[in-house]
Amino acid sequence: MCGINGIFAYNPAANPPDEAELLRTRDAMAARGPDGAGAWWSDDRRCALGHRRLAIIDTSAAGAQPMTSFDGSLTVTFNGEIYNYPELRRALEAEGARFRSRSDTEVLLHLYRREGAAMVKRLRGMYAFAIHDEARGGVFLARDPYGIKPLYVADDGWTMRFASQVKAILAGGAVSFEPEPAGIVGFHLFGSVPEPFTLYRAIRSLPAGHTQWIDAAGSREPRPFASIAAVLAEGRRRAGRADEVAARVRAAVGASVGAHLLADVEVGVFLSAGIDSGAILGLTREAGQSRRAITLTFDEFRGTPADEAPLAVDIARRYGAEHVVRSVGRAEFEADLPAITAAMDQPSIDGVNTWFVAKSAREVGLKVALSGVGGDELLAGYPSFRDVPRWRRRFGPLAAAPGAGVLARRILAAAAPRLASDNPKALGLVEHSGSWGGAYLLRRGLFLPHELDGFLDREIVRDGLARLDIDGRFRASLRPDPGSDVGRVTALESAFYLRNQLLRDADWAGMAHGLEIRTPLVDYALLTELASVLPRFGGGVGKAALAAAPSPALPDSVAARAKTGFEVPVRQWMRSTAESGGARTSRGAGARSWAHFVFGRAAATGRAA
Amino acid sequence: MSAPVRLLALVTDAFGAPGGIAQYNRDFLTALAEDAGYEVVILPRRGPVGAHSPARGMTQLGARPGRAGYVAAALRAASGRRFDFVFCGHLYAASLAFAAARLRRSRLLIQLHGIDAWAPPRPGARKAFARADLVLAVSRFTRAAALGWSALAPERIVVVPNTVRDVFVPGDRQAARVALGFADEAVLLSVGRLDGRERYKGQDRVIDVLPGLIAGGRRVAYVVAGAGDDRARLESLASERGVADAVRFVGDVGEDGLPLLYRAADLFVMPSTGEGFGIVFLEAMACGTPALGLAAGGVPDALADGALGTLAPADRLGEAIAAVLDGPRPDPAALSAAVAERFGRAPFRRAVARLAERLGEAA
Repeated sequence: MCGINGIFAYNPAANPPDEAELLRTRDAMAARGPDGAGAWWSDDRRCALGHRRLAIIDTSAAGAQPMTSFDGSLTVTFNGEIYNYPELRRALEAEGARFRSRSDTEVLLHLYRREGAAMVKRLRGMYAFAIHDEARGGVFLARDPYGIKPLYVADDGWTMRFASQVKAILAGGAVSFEPEPAGIVGFHLFGSVPEPFTLYRAIRSLPAGHTQWIDAAGSREPRPFASIAAVLAEGRRRAGRADEVAARVRAAVGASVGAHLLADVEVGVFLSAGIDSGAILGLTREAGQSRRAITLTFDEFRGTPADEAPLAVDIARRYGAEHVVRSVGRAEFEADLPAITAAMDQPSIDGVNTWFVAKSAREVGLKVALSGVGGDELLAGYPSFRDVPRWRRRFGPLAAAPGAGVLARRILAAAAPRLASDNPKALGLVEHSGSWGGAYLLRRGLFLPHELDGFLDREIVRDGLARLDIDGRFRASLRPDPGSDVGRVTALESAFYLRNQLLRDADWAGMAHGLEIRTPLVDYALLTELASVLPRFGGGVGKAALAAAPSPALPDSVAARAKTGFEVPVRQWMRSTAESGGARTSRGAGARSWAHFVFGRAAATGRAA
Repeated sequence: MSAPVRLLALVTDAFGAPGGIAQYNRDFLTALAEDAGYEVVILPRRGPVGAHSPARGMTQLGARPGRAGYVAAALRAASGRRFDFVFCGHLYAASLAFAAARLRRSRLLIQLHGIDAWAPPRPGARKAFARADLVLAVSRFTRAAALGWSALAPERIVVVPNTVRDVFVPGDRQAARVALGFADEAVLLSVGRLDGRERYKGQDRVIDVLPGLIAGGRRVAYVVAGAGDDRARLESLASERGVADAVRFVGDVGEDGLPLLYRAADLFVMPSTGEGFGIVFLEAMACGTPALGLAAGGVPDALADGALGTLAPADRLGEAIAAVLDGPRPDPAALSAAVAERFGRAPFRRAVARLAERLGEAA
């Protein structure tokens, strides 16, 4: 998993990078990379790169970073994994490239030398990296198509700073804490801070699937090289048949799981009682090794249907896995809470489950684990795949009338005050169903825009909504049009909930324990493989195909099990922690009060500086 | 050979006009013409072609002081043979520049100087700003301020610092002091307008700390250069503080008199809170004289975050001044060379040339 950072004094007016700052930022990420640390300076001292290492492929010193090319002209600092590096390496060697390590890092140097920025099209994996290019006098940044690995940048017009974590940049001490209204508003709308914003005006995320070039003429606008919407639109043009679905899912997911097992250390599996993780565990068996699977269970649920452990035990047995069941209780949650909020890089209303499962995996000595995250986005598993198209059709025409939405909201609020207090988002049904994005916000949103004035400064709300331009961002995530209902919801879920919430949570929560979480169901090559059949995944078809993918298939008890509250006890603990005073509760109130709590913690970080 | 890139500059003034902004426009546009081969057409509001003449490849049209006349002239110029770029020299003209750029699909460049861009401009200018292809800001602070009121992509605002002219070099310090009538007192110097409305330059802050400096047994003179309607207030402040004898108002000394004044001073001090960049700090240091300011606005840029000059905390101004006066005086030649290396004519021209290259790559 690793942590990367760098300081590039690209403007000749700027002072050279400060070594103490470089190391402060780097070592704020010590948990990401407990196995080693490195720093590198360009000959002219204008650029410095840092790296914290979690050694997974070529764990020898030859894989240490930052890594410089033989001729000294290229230096890379890299976080992530390139799963197709053995093929890339063979191809590069056939072209005459010489290697001195077995690491995937070295492949990046050779590929960049041959293909420049276009190199990213060749990579399969999760990554964020920076390459200093001596000959061209600049730095090249890149981030994987889904945004699995984070990369934050802070450019003040003289100096570009970047790191895997927002808090690490702040720890350097040279970047302003001034708040970003778009990040604050975005957090309250979604429950996570939507990229490219952060809570701080001076720090932004390099968007997923983008590269960026910085040299003495300044930092160029990030350029996209991958688009989920475009892959889906392209898939739609050569639509697959319904009878292809099962075989295509089996082959493509099997190949992705196989690719994600590449490592020189043991790879474990997070196992719940759901289809995604069970299928992944089943498919890993084809790789031959015995596996360890980690299941989280909650004291509160023992003996109830919500307990995932009994089913997980069945699945583990079915696939011959060594099963570790780890029990978590409220006392441990409360004891870990300060560490959780400290590790949470940007506020998030989730991630606590991931924290505990990662902690459990690390306790048994794992450094790498596969997660089923992303299965619901890829295989139409969420209720949003049903609701968003339905609302869009039912209320969309009403919303087309100017002012109708706001009017409907006001009438509802006056006529049905109970509805307003129990289910505040219902008030926005007409207002927001006019667009795909609006309907999605309604489904996924934490608060709706009209609610923000209730607890945020009016000016921040106004500025934040304007800067966030949420409708523009929704539209951009649907350009080009994916062409099917499933495709549109997949594009929205992938660009917002998955990217800003689930993947970011997997990063900070895994990182805090020095555990690399791999995501075989979040894979651009997999998406490309399945794009032509994806419109057929609705109505449970996609998830059923995944359940049938391993052999033997998952038991019916798993395939048929309704999505349960894997999160329920954590939400309860969160709520009582956050409310500690018996505030009134309504639907979604747990998440909302938890949101206020984590935001308060994050805001305190800013004030403390 | 391809046709030269054409740029229409809509500026308040450039050639033949006094002042820092006119100077910057001349420097920037000349570098574009000379180093990047641009064909530059300048439409000024003020100033004849007089004291300075444009370089080859540059044409300055007749000044149009009236607003309506200026708008008409700008639109007429932009609708003729197509310009690749319209350069807007001041934020207040952004709407006009945007309209001019739209006529023939020229790309829009906007220059930000300082305090003009710190607060949100009028809606028209703000909208035009959001459509700029590239914005130049003189300092990091000005850039950050604009990014606060505009959602423009941060990569579209580049910082191109002011440049110090070649006349500001070290010289015979003793001769300068004799010429200006200084003996062995420590001479503090400020250079800036005495503007009764703005009052941000901070001469009053220096007067406030003079008693403390003098009480330390030091002989101190504070030379205030610059003219304006705030002088009476500053004079009475000096009397109130009992330091009237130590403060000398020398008025506007003109561009020719400045180098001598800078060389004669022991410390250039200007605790200003409203500098877009603070070119006077560079001028003083280029003359070999140490400089001190507050960490406000563009001043940290001019003082290179403390690498070239001293950034003082506002509440310990007196102590900071005393510390510099008591410390060893920096080697004037070394200080001047360090300033020239970052902010001299050569790095400025290289920066403009690189910018032109960047504009070429995006086309």
